[in-house]
Amino acid sequence: MGDKKKQKMTPEQQQYQQLEQKHELKRPVVKNCIKAFLVGGLICTIGQAITYFYIYFFNFTEQTAGNPTVATMIFLSMLLTGFGVYDHIGQFAGAGSAVPVTGFGNSVISAAIEHRTEGFVLGVGGNMFKLAGSVILFGVFAAFVVALVKTLLIMMGVL
Amino acid sequence: MMNMKQAVKFLAILIMLGAGPAGCTSFGKTSPESRASMIQSVNPDPGATNDLEEKDIKLAKKVKKDIAALDEIYDVAVIAGKKEVLVAYKVKHLKRFGMKRIEKEINKKLEKNYPDEDFIVSSDYKIFIEAVELRERMKDPSFPDKKAEEQLQRIISLKKELT
Repeated sequence: MGDKKKQKMTPEQQQYQQLEQKHELKRPVVKNCIKAFLVGGLICTIGQAITYFYIYFFNFTEQTAGNPTVATMIFLSMLLTGFGVYDHIGQFAGAGSAVPVTGFGNSVISAAIEHRTEGFVLGVGGNMFKLAGSVILFGVFAAFVVALVKTLLIMMGVL
Repeated sequence: MMNMKQAVKFLAILIMLGAGPAGCTSFGKTSPESRASMIQSVNPDPGATNDLEEKDIKLAKKVKKDIAALDEIYDVAVIAGKKEVLVAYKVKHLKRFGMKRIEKEINKKLEKNYPDEDFIVSSDYKIFIEAVELRERMKDPSFPDKKAEEQLQRIISLKKELT
């Protein structure tokens, strides 16, 4: 907490703060990072294997195999979310399961499950992208900015 | 709701259903060389779709020698067609960061050494596998040249596909 904020606190608040800090559990940051690294890496390895599967058995090149791979990974994570397995993976791995594209599938389906009692249209339909909406919005916006920068660089003759 | 055990069972069945047919048929890959080409170096012979054209075969051999001389590359497949020459290569893993530079270098080298030829250059694994597969099929004397040329054009169209 910043010093300025601390100064604004009443003595009781400061006392409480100290008491809280004494009892607060320390987050195992390094352990969490290792777990996220391992599980995230495992998910990416599965994705790579699926990419090779599509390259080897179907008419996809390295450039085009990304699309069916992403679709498959999202589909699998949606199934696992529905079965309640992905929640356990998420609890264990944290960001390792949320950052890869499988986390997107999980956020769509978990929101749909959460709101199914409110009906299919206003409940599931209206809330399905409650969590994933931000991913889509910022993804599209980031893609737009990158494309803009690339176009400018090409026009200037840098690329 | 399904419990964890049921979910694992369901997934195992799903994977078996997918992997079963894939393992049995291997989807038309005819030779062990083309089957292994994705994970190991196979060093395929250069070839030409028209077996009778000694000139094409010589060109393919020369191109292969030229490209294989580059340090960053460890496997090259060359197939000379009627109009184009397909050059597929695999780049050493740690050198894959400079993929674009390597492609530029190869294009420059080919343009300089063979100004009259039209080259299709690719570092894509799929193009490499298909080139090895075609080369293996071409070894069979009963495999018609026309079909070989058709296959080559199919590979070239795959290379041009972007999305």
